[in-house]
Amino acid sequence: MTNNGTRWALLGVGTATAVGVGRVVARRRRRHQPDRQDGWYVVRRAVTVDRPRDAVIGFWTDRERLDRALGEWATLDQLDERRWRCVARDPSGGGTEWRAEITVDEPGALRWRVEDTSTPQEGRIELTDAPQGRGTEIRAELRYRSGPVRRLFGLVGGDEPDLALRDTLRRVKALVECGQVIDTRSDPSGRSPAQERATDRMREKLMTGGRA
Amino acid sequence: MRALCWEGVGKLAVRDVPDPKIRAEGDLIVRVRASSVCGSDLHLINGYLPAMREGDILGHEFMGEVVEVGPGVRQHRVGDRVVVGSVVACGGCWYCRTEQYSLCDNSNPQPVFTEKLWGHSPAGILGYSHAAGGYAGSHAEYIRVPFGDVGAFGVPEGVPDDSVVFASDAMPTGWMAADFCGLTGGEVVAVWGAGGVGQMAARSAQLLGAERVIMIDRFPDRLATAAERVGVETINYAETDVLEALRELTGGRGPDACIEAVGMESHDVGPTYAYDRVKQSARLQTDRPTSVRQAIMACRKGGTVSIVGVYAGLIDKFPLGAAMNKALVLRMGQMHAQRYIPMLLDRLAAGEIDPGYLATHPIPLEQGARGYELFEKKQDGCLRSVLHP
Repeated sequence: MTNNGTRWALLGVGTATAVGVGRVVARRRRRHQPDRQDGWYVVRRAVTVDRPRDAVIGFWTDRERLDRALGEWATLDQLDERRWRCVARDPSGGGTEWRAEITVDEPGALRWRVEDTSTPQEGRIELTDAPQGRGTEIRAELRYRSGPVRRLFGLVGGDEPDLALRDTLRRVKALVECGQVIDTRSDPSGRSPAQERATDRMREKLMTGGRA
Repeated sequence: MRALCWEGVGKLAVRDVPDPKIRAEGDLIVRVRASSVCGSDLHLINGYLPAMREGDILGHEFMGEVVEVGPGVRQHRVGDRVVVGSVVACGGCWYCRTEQYSLCDNSNPQPVFTEKLWGHSPAGILGYSHAAGGYAGSHAEYIRVPFGDVGAFGVPEGVPDDSVVFASDAMPTGWMAADFCGLTGGEVVAVWGAGGVGQMAARSAQLLGAERVIMIDRFPDRLATAAERVGVETINYAETDVLEALRELTGGRGPDACIEAVGMESHDVGPTYAYDRVKQSARLQTDRPTSVRQAIMACRKGGTVSIVGVYAGLIDKFPLGAAMNKALVLRMGQMHAQRYIPMLLDRLAAGEIDPGYLATHPIPLEQGARGYELFEKKQDGCLRSVLHP
């Protein structure tokens, strides 16, 4: 009788704990999942650039400055008055490329679309004035198609579109504010080539993305 | 070139490493003439901030001579003698433009670690682990200084290298600690930690109007140096109950402002300290906040506690109730080097502050590991070892 009672009590406590932990994990997962809309994942990210809106727009229209700033990691070609093609490369020298078609709807609003990829994506960017004269908020909405398995592999491999978006916003902010994206990958160290490669892989993880 | 590298927890060695190169328009290459050890390096060497990689070059408090400039540099020329703030700042973001340089948005290229740990990423710091950007440090023959126009400052003639080197970090940190206290004249200020930063904080507090400065440490030689060089009163916490002594020295009020210049490996006597050590060793807390607790308990009602000792993560038994009910002002942060360095160089040239006596052990770079040993174990009266490549 006592044994049975103990068994039931343990089972009850065990079940309650499992349900409790499961709910916490599920809630946490849900909070970190991007929204879903019509089969698209939707994420919204923003960054504040400490420059007036005209200066942020001016950065993109000053071709010479833009080319110098984008330098190694992207090229921009104008297709017609409103449309551009952007080809971005992996700055660490990997072979991955990211081709997007960008359409400027009006000053301070543009859309982009990437189709020749395993995770098709589209997005738009709007510029709004930040409060207290703190510059301009670049607000981006990204929509991408990806199955749960592909998303998981993307997250593990670090090429999830959301991470890339956050990285891009951070780069754009740095380029507008101080004219360069700082990089310490080539700083000297006492590492062997193999250790340096391992450190570079860790650097990549610490460079891309950010706050979840 | 030769450089002092971290080789694992508690292990340092001088190695041959490649020379640094100009990577961006605003970069400088500086030939290091003097590079000081710093208490905050000990947290990295001892593995309390787990973001070091084998082979990382240490050192962030230095001065030297410009040997190469990037095409975008306007303020400096080859041959200039410069001191460089240890915090890297871009000069163009909102934080830099409002002189909060250690909060720069763009100078940490690897922000993910600190964003996860602290919510946002502050500025990068030279030679201060991959959490602070993974920059190569200054315990080397040469160093690349990014944003050279923002971070490097020409040094007045006649001020020796071993004095001016402290304008890189110890002096601005000490000045900011005193600046946080909001002194208007006549205050009593207590300073925990009689190391380089603590002594600079004490001198800065005097220059900003403090009438009395009381310094707390356990090393008689450090306390004697502070009393002689800075003119402070001293309390040896190994022999005296600090709270009791401070109450007595201030007519029962407590100090108007308390400066904590110790950091996450602070030491104490008694069972609470043993408890903190056990928790920290088991990584149940990352930092030991002994002196912060004391500062909060000692501070007068409505006073200011100013924290410039480095903390990295989580602490235990934080007397928030005391801070709240005594209506204390808590201020803290990494120093805004670029805000204070020009003013401090003027004061240095005018002889108002002379930190040269902190450099008790000038030694060659090749003996860098020994320099840290002397410094960490406080052997031979070591206040600071200054490495000369």
